[in-house]
Amino acid sequence: MHLFLEQFVNGWALGSLYALFGIGFGLVFSTLGILNAAHGTYASWAAIVGYYAVVWLNVPFPVAIAVGVLAGGVLAIVVDQIGFQPLRAKKAGLLGALITSIAFWIILDSLAGFATQQQSLAFPASTYPNRMVAVGPVMVPQMQIITILALIICAVGIYLLIQKTRIGAAMRAVGWNEVAAGLGGVNARVVILLTAFLAGATSGLAGVLGGIATSNVSFTLGEGLLLKGFAAVVVGGFDDVRGTAIAGICLGIIEVFVGQYVSTAMRDGVTYALLLLFLILRPRGLFGSTSFLRA
Amino acid sequence: MPDPAASRILLEFDDVVKSFGGVVAVDHLSAHVRQGSVHGLIGPNGAGKTTMINLITGLFHPDSGTISFDGKHLEAMAPHQIAALGISRTYQNVRLFSGMTALEQVMTGCYLQRGVSLWASFLGTGNARRQWAKTRDHAMSLLKRVGMADRADELAETLSYGEQRRVEIARALGSDPKLLLLDEPTAGMNTQEASSVGRLVHELRDSGLTILLVEHNMGLVTEFCSSCTVINFGRLLAEGDPRTCIANPQVQEAYFGRQNDAERIQALR
Amino acid sequence: MDALLDFWAAYGSTVVFAMINAFFALSTYAVLSTGVLSFTTVVFAAVGGFLAAQTVGHLQISIHLSFLLAAIGGGLAAAVVAVAFLKLDSHWMALASLALVLITRVVSLNAPILTGGVNGLVVPLRVDPIEVAILLAVVTFAFYRLHNSWYGLASRAVREDPAVASTMGIPPRRIQFVAFVISGVVGGIGGAALAFTLQFLSPETYFIGIAFTMIASAVLGGSFHWFGPVVGAFVFTALPVMMQAFVPQIEDVAKGVALLLIMIFMPRGLIDPRAVRLRRAARLRHKQERAVNA
Repeated sequence: MHLFLEQFVNGWALGSLYALFGIGFGLVFSTLGILNAAHGTYASWAAIVGYYAVVWLNVPFPVAIAVGVLAGGVLAIVVDQIGFQPLRAKKAGLLGALITSIAFWIILDSLAGFATQQQSLAFPASTYPNRMVAVGPVMVPQMQIITILALIICAVGIYLLIQKTRIGAAMRAVGWNEVAAGLGGVNARVVILLTAFLAGATSGLAGVLGGIATSNVSFTLGEGLLLKGFAAVVVGGFDDVRGTAIAGICLGIIEVFVGQYVSTAMRDGVTYALLLLFLILRPRGLFGSTSFLRA
Repeated sequence: MPDPAASRILLEFDDVVKSFGGVVAVDHLSAHVRQGSVHGLIGPNGAGKTTMINLITGLFHPDSGTISFDGKHLEAMAPHQIAALGISRTYQNVRLFSGMTALEQVMTGCYLQRGVSLWASFLGTGNARRQWAKTRDHAMSLLKRVGMADRADELAETLSYGEQRRVEIARALGSDPKLLLLDEPTAGMNTQEASSVGRLVHELRDSGLTILLVEHNMGLVTEFCSSCTVINFGRLLAEGDPRTCIANPQVQEAYFGRQNDAERIQALR
Repeated sequence: MDALLDFWAAYGSTVVFAMINAFFALSTYAVLSTGVLSFTTVVFAAVGGFLAAQTVGHLQISIHLSFLLAAIGGGLAAAVVAVAFLKLDSHWMALASLALVLITRVVSLNAPILTGGVNGLVVPLRVDPIEVAILLAVVTFAFYRLHNSWYGLASRAVREDPAVASTMGIPPRRIQFVAFVISGVVGGIGGAALAFTLQFLSPETYFIGIAFTMIASAVLGGSFHWFGPVVGAFVFTALPVMMQAFVPQIEDVAKGVALLLIMIFMPRGLIDPRAVRLRRAARLRHKQERAVNA
């Protein structure tokens, strides 16, 4: 029972990372119509920037997080404005944006490799909260609690932003039709920049927290998050932050339990199988549009 | 030539309903088109005319009611099956294929009349090559018919709007249809171009084709249609002889507003 | 002659890999030319590659027969995938195909009987580059025939506007199904060619790397004509080799930047029949104007 609870919290924390990462990925897809393969590199770079802030500048933990988040957000804006903005004018569509994002993935990943000298770096243990806290019968690492709370705060915050504010309504509108959003008096460009920043920032947060928790600051960090976060988004539904958050947590818990009680080899397989199953069996429930033929 | 008013019914709408997320576009509509007629479908913007065309061609499926063509029910069929029955159409805002020449567009329209399997066509058998040449000649003759033969090798996107419309009509004729649906074929055309389309419509009718014409130009409707259906808000307002329909006070009100705005009527004529 | 031999000694393997990548790019183009973005070529390549490797290893069949089996296996896999995928909206299809690629890797890691698992699989035979070249020529000729047949015309219509195509009697799903099967056959052949060239297969062989290369090649070369993916594959394979001569450190970065520049400045690729036709039309107009003036 004790192990079960411990693994449950492990899974929850892991899943929170997936969800945190997935929220931004889904936001960009539903608002801007871009399948962004470079989303994982924001996480890698946020972790790398956070790491060097700590190691070189000795900044305290919250500042390191803030620097990482900011780095992720700014990087996302840069990528959007260099790579995606020219395509918007040309109406290159999903494929064009996807290829562009793949180009950025290659570029930013290899640069991340240089930044870490192709190694996996770890935050020095003294630079982040690394004690265990008793929560009821189980001892939980502080970083896991921070991760779980970070997801809750971000998910609720972004949900309220999208559902309750004027800019949020504009974001939803852009997802349907850029012209319609323009008529609503909201500048589409502001929406694009805000969406890109939010996506990069949440990805960055997941990157810094994940980099600390797994002692893996390298370009592989983002890749791992990309595949799992992508699964969380698909299972939970693209246009719903709540769905992504819950699906991410569930995937994390399932992954940890499969690894613990079934076999470590099947860990990833189960996630991906769920992903495919959802895509094929429940595509309509997850996505608004139902028809392939647009008359 | 048989008298259209007495000929058999080719296309029939029976109590058809179609709504989009609570907005009723077609509301318990019944109507019919007789074989050999040029039937006008008129109504103000947003009346549900294009929705009807989309329902006939299978791009939409009705929520309830039946649509029958030549004795067959269309409401559950896929668009390509309906096309194979002999229904062809053009689009309100021309939809030609980007990157294809005018001739290729019309060739594509001849897909159903290609006469060989895809496999034989891939292998390039003698028969396939003969059929291809035959279809090509046929496509060329269709282009000639709409007066576009000298532009056959030009990319469709380099043609003027009126020319694109004519290529689109030629493409629709490629499948050798029994029923041709023309969705506002004269939109964006000047009077001269519009009346040449009207003449084409008459020629096509004389060759035995049944035509359903969605049209805004009242002059064209009264001049070229043998019968018509007027709808508004997806409901039937009037049907029968075009002049009688347009004189109907309900139609007048729907079309021209409450005040009898003589100027606007003049403009539409 | 000596110069040719020198060239082959230096760049022979680049040419072979370019040819293999051309199979993958053509396989991607097969579905792309009907408006479907799918990463499943990787899956078909894995099916073809492992099938060829195992049948040659265990059943001692000839390399030619194993290529045939790889093509059939890839085609069958594609037919199954197409039935499941063609129900999906285009965005979802792209995502589902990506998921299938991830699952393929997990399967090849966990099914050592079929794939050698983590240890990989040694392939006992090697294919002659000339044979790969002949095979590529045959496949390319098939694409040329497809392009100039009714299928080619129908697939272009489906790609540009599936709704309009369907009202002209062209069944979009059926055309796309055929496209998937073609993609599977060509992908399977490419997978086998890769297996018989590398002579060693690991779960990483058929993974994201191929997915990137094939999509990039198809788009770089141009996905509106069968010649585009072949050109794209050669350019995209040769590019890193040439980059290595100048900037060995940042080969991957340069590859990414090249891809990015192409997407921004020539999004329709190097081979674009539409641009050619537009230029021809402009030239014709120019000539006519001059004739009128004179």
